[in-house]
Amino acid sequence: MLLAIAAATTTLTLGLAIHGVASDPFQSSRETTAGPDVTAVIMPDPEGGAVDPAVLDGLTGADGVVDHSGPYPVAGATLTHGDRTMDVQAVGRDTEPAAVDRPAVTDGDWVRGGGVVVEAAFAEATGLQVGDPVTLAGRSFEVAGIAVTTALVPYPWTTCLVHCVLGQLPEGMRSAPGAVREPGTVWLTVTDVEEIASGPLSYVSYLKLADPDDAQAFVDAHNQDQPGAPRLEPWQHTFEQVTHLERNSQRVLTTGGWLLGILAVASVAVLVGGRMADQTQRVGLLKAVGATPGLVAAILLTAHVAVALLASAAGLVAGRLTAPLLSERTPGLIGAAGDPALTLRTIAIVTAVALGVAVTATLVPAIRSARTSTVDALNDAARPPRRVGWLVALSSRLPVALLIALRVAGRRPRRVALSIASMTVTVSGVVAAMAANAQLAAQPILDADTETQRLGELLLIITVTLIALAAVNTIVVTWATVLDVRHASALTRALGATPAQLSAGLSFAQVLPAFVGAVLGVGGGLVLYTAVDPDEVPLPPVWWLAALVPGVMLAVAALTAVPARLAARRPVAPLLQAELA
Amino acid sequence: MQQEVVLALLAKEPSHGYQLRARLRQALGPIGEAMNAGQVYVVLTRLEKAGLVTTERPELATGPAAAPTADRKTYALTPKGQQRVAEWMTEVSWPKPDLTEFHLKLVAAAAAGLADPLSIVDTQRRELLRRLREAQRAAMAEPDGAEAGLLLEGIVLRLQADLRWLEACERSWTTRRSTS
Amino acid sequence: MSSILSTRGLTRTYGDGESLVRAVDGVDLDVAAGETVAVMGPSGCGKSTLLHLVGGLDRASGGEIHLAGRRVDQLTERALARLRRTDVGFVFQAFHLMDELTVIENVELPALLAGRSPRAARARATELLRRVGLDAKGDALPTALSGGQRQRVAVARALSNEPVLVLADEPTGNLDSAATLDVLRLFEDLHEAGQTLVIVTHDERIAATADRLISMRDGAFVDETRLTGGTTGHLGALAGLEG
Repeated sequence: MLLAIAAATTTLTLGLAIHGVASDPFQSSRETTAGPDVTAVIMPDPEGGAVDPAVLDGLTGADGVVDHSGPYPVAGATLTHGDRTMDVQAVGRDTEPAAVDRPAVTDGDWVRGGGVVVEAAFAEATGLQVGDPVTLAGRSFEVAGIAVTTALVPYPWTTCLVHCVLGQLPEGMRSAPGAVREPGTVWLTVTDVEEIASGPLSYVSYLKLADPDDAQAFVDAHNQDQPGAPRLEPWQHTFEQVTHLERNSQRVLTTGGWLLGILAVASVAVLVGGRMADQTQRVGLLKAVGATPGLVAAILLTAHVAVALLASAAGLVAGRLTAPLLSERTPGLIGAAGDPALTLRTIAIVTAVALGVAVTATLVPAIRSARTSTVDALNDAARPPRRVGWLVALSSRLPVALLIALRVAGRRPRRVALSIASMTVTVSGVVAAMAANAQLAAQPILDADTETQRLGELLLIITVTLIALAAVNTIVVTWATVLDVRHASALTRALGATPAQLSAGLSFAQVLPAFVGAVLGVGGGLVLYTAVDPDEVPLPPVWWLAALVPGVMLAVAALTAVPARLAARRPVAPLLQAELA
Repeated sequence: MQQEVVLALLAKEPSHGYQLRARLRQALGPIGEAMNAGQVYVVLTRLEKAGLVTTERPELATGPAAAPTADRKTYALTPKGQQRVAEWMTEVSWPKPDLTEFHLKLVAAAAAGLADPLSIVDTQRRELLRRLREAQRAAMAEPDGAEAGLLLEGIVLRLQADLRWLEACERSWTTRRSTS
Repeated sequence: MSSILSTRGLTRTYGDGESLVRAVDGVDLDVAAGETVAVMGPSGCGKSTLLHLVGGLDRASGGEIHLAGRRVDQLTERALARLRRTDVGFVFQAFHLMDELTVIENVELPALLAGRSPRAARARATELLRRVGLDAKGDALPTALSGGQRQRVAVARALSNEPVLVLADEPTGNLDSAATLDVLRLFEDLHEAGQTLVIVTHDERIAATADRLISMRDGAFVDETRLTGGTTGHLGALAGLEG
């Protein structure tokens, strides 16, 4: 129980922490780095000569522009680090911070002569660190720092400031001479840029508008579709690019968090229910010595609330410790690169959820046990099994193992519903993850190294956690069932069922709801995925989905086999004898 | 046969002797079968002499078959008899279970070395078990709710109690023998 | 007389070393076909364990068990299950009926486990319920029955697969006097129908109705009494009618 709640709260903490961080990392980064509202680039004609940066000055004086920086020279170059060679666009900057676009240095220092600053996502992807020696266009430099900017889209979807190619070049097209492929961004001093330049330079200016919301209008007004004219980009474009994946991973996390939460509630309910059954006799004793029903409920609740508090504390700590692992994979933005904060709000929410889980999971059995007649409680511990007549009638037409399975399942319809629900949730999650993976795979990907991989890892982590929790859940349910029916099992064996028939029956009793759950889950998963990401829904291969159902059943059968076998092999005599006491 | 039993059976209404006998047999079931047919009349005669019952001889001397016999007499309680029945109803006497004799038999047998107390207990138990078997079988043969069934149940339970006491005797004498 | 059941040197021990307990210690038991044998003894004397060994619910530590001419103490767990299914019927003190199943479903369960068709199992169960006088209660749940009725259902269930041997463990332990009588009558019927019965009990009433009474102490047989024989005519004396 402690573990189940702890696992749930861990995930929830994680979800909330990431949520808090990723909620608006771009905005906060934009503020910190004095991000431009419009980026204006002017590139040399690939066939011709140099361009005049003064063209950009025309823009800086335009209506609505309140501030600007640049124009800065940009050169395409080849960066060599060790034996790795990468294309970069080198932006020449002043050593002093500019009015607009002040890349936030997260490590090391800002540019200096012979010192290059690497864009954070690029550094992350290439493993460049402060102090690393690099070669740019044959000249030696040292990595002076690593910085985050919002003036352009981080690597690998870098906003091109020079002629560049992203991804595969369409068939039949040649890249412009001197164009760079999938460039990272580095900042150098203006002098250094001019020195490494092998041809005409590009120039970039950053503009600050009176009202950032007017950026798109400004761009529309000033974009001229003709060679030699500056290309304008509103900040929203960068924002879209940057946050698309960010939003995805966040949705994955929160959805995953909810799924895990539901599973955790399910397993807690089973656990508590099982413990309640064990405690019925104790309740009877309590009542016999004079405890009122309210007091009994209070005692039981207190015990579980204590457990829940402990578990949520553990979950918070675990979540706090694991959150950076996930968020550290969010380079290119300041907010994300920092530690996710463990706010009071997060703590409150997580604790409240944990308590809620414990209270709901306890309340029903607590009230029931408190209301049980004292005499009944003292005499007979367990809740009387239910009778589902049609199931019994149906089962008598089936082979022995299925007969046992159906009757075992029929004794506890609510637990079966819980198993189905748990399996539905898990399979939904897995299917959603599969769909998301399929979508990722379908996307034109530049470099599988970074963002996509990060999202893939996130999905993987959540999927694995979901499956793990579901596995724990299945085992717990099986064990509870085994304990619950131990008497009936012993009796069935005394009447001549073989251990193999009995253990098969006990396993079947879990596999049947798992089957229903898996089928529901496949449907539910697709619905869930559509809800999370309504834009594009590339379905995972059908055979995957088809394989999932028998796969789940096999897995459940394997998981339940051990407890079921153990139960079926237990000697019969002591159990039947114990009832006499 | 106790006189009071017969008196009490007459308390409801005057009866013929054979009616009394039938009533007794009904209440006693298989146990009543051991009863001597004339026993009731012996008791009735005694009661009549003691002035507790009176007899009426019906004057139905018509025909040769109507010759007065003992069977034709109707017995009724006298006031004295009624008083005796009332007294009997309030009495609390109870048959004494006489275990003293058997207990002393064991003590004496052990003291004088006459016999092994354990084998005495054993023999006695077999005897009681046979009696129990008989009573139990008789009880099983009675239909549910028969009056006699209740009596047989009492006998069975009593024998069971005696058998348990014998078990206690056996335990006790086994310990005494092993510690002496 | 041929033995339906015989054991030789049957032993069951628990624990080892200092704490070794000999629950059943070298028991030789022979039960003839159609015989009713009662095993009596104080609680803890090993009589229930003996019953479990004979019925294949527990495994012997030593000795042999022969049931219906077959040695059964070395059977696999699976074969033992078959044995319990076809050759042995159990009646327990606590009835051990399944509360969620109706009376008739309880009675037909062993037949279903033995792979009989649902129709045949139901027919057999109906017949057995008639035999124990509960044919009107077939659709009731066990909880709606009295103790004596429940035990009769349990007896009917034990007879489901026409076992060669019915084993009863304190069958009247939870019953009042009248219900005990009921069950005793039922056993008597079985006895008359030629059913072989082994009953362990500490109730002298059951013991007294058996053909043979075996006393057990500390895992071993200490005494045997054959109770059959002519009546002793003591009934009248018992009732205090003499004198």
